[in-house]
Amino acid sequence: MTLNMWMPLFALMTSLMASLVIFVLPEQGYRLRTAVNLGAALVKLGIVAVMVWGVFHGVDYGLSFTMLPGVEFVLKADALSMMFAGLSAVLWFLTTIYAVGYLEDSPNRSRFFGFFSLCVASTMGIALAGNLFTFFLFYEMLTLATYPLVVHRGTEQALRAGRAYVIYTLTGGAVLLLAIAWLQGLVGDLPFREGGHFGDADPALHGSLILIFVLLIAGLGVKAAIFPLHGWLPQAMVAPAPVSALLHAVAVVKAGAFGIVRVVYDIYGIEASAMLGLLEPLAWLAAFTILYGSARALSQVDLKRRLAFSTVSQVSYIILGICLFGPVGATGGLVHLLHQGIMKITLFFCAGNYAETLGIHRIDEMDGAGRRMPGTSLAFTVGAFGMIGAPPLAGFITKWTMGTGALASNMDWVIGVLVLSSLLNAAYFLPILHRLWFREPRGSWPHERQWGRLETSAWLFWPPMLTAAMTVLVGVLASLPFSPLSWAELVVLRAYSS
Amino acid sequence: MMAFESFLLLLAVCVPLLYPIMALAGGSDKVMRHALPLLPIPALIFVLVAQPGGQLELPWLLNGGLWGMDELRRLFLLLTAVLWTVAGVFAVGYLKVHHLRRFCVFWGLTLAGNLGLTVAVDIASFYSFFALMTFAGYGLVVHEGTEEANRAGRVYLAMAVVGEMAILAGLLLASAAADSQMLSDIPAAIAESPQRDLMIALLIVGFGVKAGLPLLHFWLPMAHPVAPTPASAVLSGAMIKAGLLGWLVTLPFGDISLPVWGTLMVVAGAVASLGAAALGVCQQRPKTVLAYSSISQMGLMVLMVGAALADPQRAPVLLPVIALYTLHHGLAKGSLFLSAGLLLPSARMHRALMWLLVALPGLSLAGLPFTSGALAKLAMKEALAEDKLEFALAGYLSPLMTAGAVATLLLVLRYLWTLTAKLETGRNPPMLLAGWLAASSMSLLAFWWMPWNVEGLVKAPVWLPALYQVWALIWPMLVAVGIAGLTVRVTRSVKQR
Repeated sequence: MTLNMWMPLFALMTSLMASLVIFVLPEQGYRLRTAVNLGAALVKLGIVAVMVWGVFHGVDYGLSFTMLPGVEFVLKADALSMMFAGLSAVLWFLTTIYAVGYLEDSPNRSRFFGFFSLCVASTMGIALAGNLFTFFLFYEMLTLATYPLVVHRGTEQALRAGRAYVIYTLTGGAVLLLAIAWLQGLVGDLPFREGGHFGDADPALHGSLILIFVLLIAGLGVKAAIFPLHGWLPQAMVAPAPVSALLHAVAVVKAGAFGIVRVVYDIYGIEASAMLGLLEPLAWLAAFTILYGSARALSQVDLKRRLAFSTVSQVSYIILGICLFGPVGATGGLVHLLHQGIMKITLFFCAGNYAETLGIHRIDEMDGAGRRMPGTSLAFTVGAFGMIGAPPLAGFITKWTMGTGALASNMDWVIGVLVLSSLLNAAYFLPILHRLWFREPRGSWPHERQWGRLETSAWLFWPPMLTAAMTVLVGVLASLPFSPLSWAELVVLRAYSS
Repeated sequence: MMAFESFLLLLAVCVPLLYPIMALAGGSDKVMRHALPLLPIPALIFVLVAQPGGQLELPWLLNGGLWGMDELRRLFLLLTAVLWTVAGVFAVGYLKVHHLRRFCVFWGLTLAGNLGLTVAVDIASFYSFFALMTFAGYGLVVHEGTEEANRAGRVYLAMAVVGEMAILAGLLLASAAADSQMLSDIPAAIAESPQRDLMIALLIVGFGVKAGLPLLHFWLPMAHPVAPTPASAVLSGAMIKAGLLGWLVTLPFGDISLPVWGTLMVVAGAVASLGAAALGVCQQRPKTVLAYSSISQMGLMVLMVGAALADPQRAPVLLPVIALYTLHHGLAKGSLFLSAGLLLPSARMHRALMWLLVALPGLSLAGLPFTSGALAKLAMKEALAEDKLEFALAGYLSPLMTAGAVATLLLVLRYLWTLTAKLETGRNPPMLLAGWLAASSMSLLAFWWMPWNVEGLVKAPVWLPALYQVWALIWPMLVAVGIAGLTVRVTRSVKQR
């Protein structure tokens, strides 16, 4: 059916068109811009929902045309695509609401929302890309779209962060391009395919394939913030809260992690990756990053910086999960793609609420904030416990599934990593929670503003409440169909059965 | 499980779980406060009407939920529901306005965790509720906000998190070995697994933090006394037992003989029982003395757990006795903790009556005839009888238990002694008094109608023990009284000089 052919393009175009419209809208057109923003987000949510239903029932969504001889532009929706697309659609909608409230009467909103939509369009493209070349196009578009968001405030610090961001990501992009071109030259254009391509690769190619894999991971690892390529991420936290939220939960770091998943599953194939001996070193690197990020987070005094190092750690859970050779471990890694997004966006929303409502940026300023902002603090508490992996929240489902998978693959040491990381997470989150709920406030807040009937602006209040509720629900209801866990199981089932 | 029972069970867990929403929705302080004793009522009704053996499937929950109640869980649930109810009544009269709503929120969540873990049959629910109880319990410990409370809270939390992680690792390993998400499949799988000792170690340590195993107990004498009195009562009466329940439902009893683990646990139990008593009698504050007494009493239960691990044939007899002991100790200790929050009436008769009622649950702990303690102690003695146990340390158990009985009474006497110095004269708020009276009567009277089962260990009728049994119960008490009297005299004469 032709409609099915065009669906991926529609999903992509809603954000892209919204972006173009917003760029041309006048700065003062607050209502119209908000309407376009939310309208597009809703439409996309609908399209993605339809596609999720379709993919579940085996509908083929695909579109491709030749750009250059031998270079195809392919959009395609498989179960894995829909995971990322779904995350992006849901969180974009909530982040848009949040951003509207957050940027109320700040300058350059047209520019901001334009690039914001462009950034989301890129993530959609990344999700739906059907081969490495298409993936790369959107991956680089994402870099360009996020730079203006990172430097949005225009301060010295923001510009410095932006510079670091661009240097890191463009270098990563160049390495990635090199790897893709090499691969293309070696074996031609490779569409993403469940089960991969190199199950029966010519042994003569093994050396090159291993090298290419290393380059691919190095290129993608920049955005995924794998140690030692993570340096840009903590700096980028100077961006406005909705940008950090999106950056850490959906857009940038997830694009990197998602790319690695694609390479391991749909280009090399999990069996070939294991056979080439690629998974074990990657697993160790991911494990080290998990512990390193947590350890660094401990010593941060700035709330958003602490959250940023926590992201470094948490994203590597995804990588570690897919390196556990086996369906259960892979499920644990993939499900964290969604879980980490939901939990981390909650925490960043909350950090933004504290900053905008009370002027709190540092952790030692948070004393007694729970009484002043109970809703936000509740959401923060849920997010933090989720990160620690406390049951029955999202993070626990990840940890439990990954742990079971690790044992099934005889990689028992992973349990140690999980436990140690949980302890570190507890060590840097629980003191914050103690401050929120059990310390008396220090008198006056650094920079308080009264904002309507609720504890803060309703635009800022509801998004973290919703994502916190999701953090609870995806954990408690993990066994329901279409829960992240069930969907991840579907992805893995299809990857391992083909 | 019948529809009505299933509904009750859901209600039992969900009522306290959802109650904190009232605080967010702006429920008034007065309503929040007066709802406290009502929260465990559905659980109480459930445990009274439901037949053991029923299960409730919740396939949408976590990795597939299964809740239910068997004979063992029945007693734990009963204790939990009763104790939280009477402590809730007490709290209505006890609580001050200071952060009342926050206290209520954590009370509800901790209760939900405690009830939930008792009825959870699948691993994920069990661990979820266990963690909920642990983390929400922190809110009760640090509630007063003093420097001391915060320090206790830090120690509590640090040790609890380490415990949680040990439990997580242990359950993960066991669940993978059993290839099952149900607690009931774990023991057999552990028994057969090559990683058996690792799993057992993790579970013993993980739950041991909660149960106050020696060296894992440090948080306990710090945290139990600083919490508000009704919270201390449930901490020491009910929540500490969650660790014990954790062992009972996960460790491989009756499947294989584990003499090394058994011996270790028996030694740990003995150390806890006597060591905690030695430390406890040196304490100045009543609630700290009681906290040490809890460690000491848990020591006796640990000792029975050890014997059951070592001797699989005896395990089926020992487990109901452990449950009985749990029930007895929980009720008595709850009542004792609550009495630490009382004011003394000025009228002489009332005063004497009150001292009697304060002392009785304590004497029950020490095994006074005609009390629940006498029954529990006799049952324990029978269950651990040397000639029926195949176990290297069996010969030492009887003197150990006697020494334990002496230690118990010494602690109780020390408690009463410190209490006389502390209690002030005044009028008790009616709800506070009602809560404490209810707790005492639960321990002294209602206990006899509760569905414990001693498997014919103690010859009926239990309230008329045979003469030799009375003597066995009484003489350690006389020794303790003698020691206490001597100590007082010596102290006095030293002071006079």
